[in-house]
Amino acid sequence: MSNNQENDGYGVSIFKPGTPAGEKTRGIIFFIVLSLIILVQAFYWLFANSVEPFVMGMPFGMFFVVLFIVIEFVTLLILFFSESKDSTEGGNS
Amino acid sequence: MEWMTVTLIIFIYLFFVLFLGTWAGRGRESSVVEYIAASRGLGFFVMYFLMGGAIFSAFAYLGGPGWAYSKGAAAFYILGYCALGLVPWWLWGPRAHRAGKKFGYVTQAQLFTDRFQSKALSVIIAIVSIMAFVQYITLQMKGSAYVFEIASGGRIPFWAGALIAYVVVVVYVFYGGVRGVAWTNVFQGAFMISIAWVLGLYFAFKLYGGPTEMFRQIAEFNPTHLMVGPGSKMSFAAFSSALLVSVLGFSMWPHLFMKAYTAKSERVIKQTIVMYPTFAIFMVPVLFIGFAGIMQVTPDVLGAPDRILPWMFIHMKFPAIIIGLVLAAALAAAMSTQDTITHAAGSIFAQDLVEPLKKKKHTDKEATMWIRISVVGFGAISYVVAIFGGQTLVSLLLGAYGSIVQLLPLAVATFFWPRATKAGAICGLLVGVLYNYGIVLQFIPKFWGIHAGIQGLVLNFIVLIVVSLLTKPMDKEHARKFVTL
Repeated sequence: MSNNQENDGYGVSIFKPGTPAGEKTRGIIFFIVLSLIILVQAFYWLFANSVEPFVMGMPFGMFFVVLFIVIEFVTLLILFFSESKDSTEGGNS
Repeated sequence: MEWMTVTLIIFIYLFFVLFLGTWAGRGRESSVVEYIAASRGLGFFVMYFLMGGAIFSAFAYLGGPGWAYSKGAAAFYILGYCALGLVPWWLWGPRAHRAGKKFGYVTQAQLFTDRFQSKALSVIIAIVSIMAFVQYITLQMKGSAYVFEIASGGRIPFWAGALIAYVVVVVYVFYGGVRGVAWTNVFQGAFMISIAWVLGLYFAFKLYGGPTEMFRQIAEFNPTHLMVGPGSKMSFAAFSSALLVSVLGFSMWPHLFMKAYTAKSERVIKQTIVMYPTFAIFMVPVLFIGFAGIMQVTPDVLGAPDRILPWMFIHMKFPAIIIGLVLAAALAAAMSTQDTITHAAGSIFAQDLVEPLKKKKHTDKEATMWIRISVVGFGAISYVVAIFGGQTLVSLLLGAYGSIVQLLPLAVATFFWPRATKAGAICGLLVGVLYNYGIVLQFIPKFWGIHAGIQGLVLNFIVLIVVSLLTKPMDKEHARKFVTL
């Protein structure tokens, strides 16, 4: 994960130089959370490969998939608002 | 006559879309950046439907219920993929947008070509994209042809049904450019979503007294239908790898990737990503329609699973007007994807294949004319392929379709790894694409049921890294331009 200048400028560069530490941390946290959501969705059958119980009219597997779509949506909302709050306060877009 | 009313409604719908699409582009200047990217000026509302129209394709609207009907829980894959497909775009959408503004790109290949300083790359990407697009369009044409066939009680044959809808699309793309595509998608998207909700729930309640009872009966009838894994229609490995490869590959589709240049700002791109999972929620009732069909008709009677949605409506004794509206919505799904693809294919052919190979640069006006001509040409070719395409051709196209995800390493390398070189990029892409073809054409056996795209992707990354490290680094200042955007 370590960034920039160390290896003569050719190294993997996740963030552009000068990104504040707080923004980096947020980027990493949300990257991990969203990756986890993708993995849970892909491997949903590990957790919910069953018909019963029925929740909100849906079989459990389908409910689980929909639930994680909602969780994903909320995660993205939080990410969006925390970013736009920062950019209005800090003044850098 | 009932079928005449149904067909009439569909035609009224088609005229309306045609009008809206051509109207949207009127009075705009004739330039490349306007025609392809709406002068980088689309706001959130239009972007949301523009991107949504692309996923609400005939695959979602006809294929989704078809999967729910024939494959059961495997259809949950569509929900997950729909919801998550745009998430990786958070990484490259805003970056591509900044790069486009700074260096004047309007297509995906222009970005990669500039980064790796290779016209060959532009040509490879253009060819793979256009072949994949033909395959994509073929699927949509089948969808619209079904709609006409069913609406007219078999009186409008396949070739004519596919032709009618597609001519409308080509006309408004020709005149309206991306604005025509965007505004028709707003209308079509809103229309489809409302129809889907009302009818998905209607079937579950009308036929079974509610979704719970419906699913209980399905589970009794076939205990593994609502599960994946052994005994069901999709294995664990197939489900997981298909979902992963779709999520990784979705934002690599050139017609979606290049919409980063269409958005007014990065904020609009992020808003679109945030709201995108709502399309997956809209898909839930669409799947209900397919599940509701299980106890109503047997697969032999139905013919192809994709017919389940139209079949349900025809056999439910709805008034002709409702049937007309529902079928128009299914048509909207097919058309809202066709227009985006046709527009992108024309743009890519003219900008990424013709332009780099020409010695003298076109003026802006000439280049726009070239794109318009390419739109019509692509329209004609893909129609001919859809109607007359033989088996060999189909597998060639399928190979390209599966190869789109192989563009992912290019995006990663462009934005995050300055050390990547031209040779690495080209070799990686070629290995990924050829491996995928090897599987499609069955030179290489399928491996544990894992999606071919994932396997190709792993090889692609390895080759990209190894070859890049073995070759001389590219100009540092140039390569770092793209990671410091």
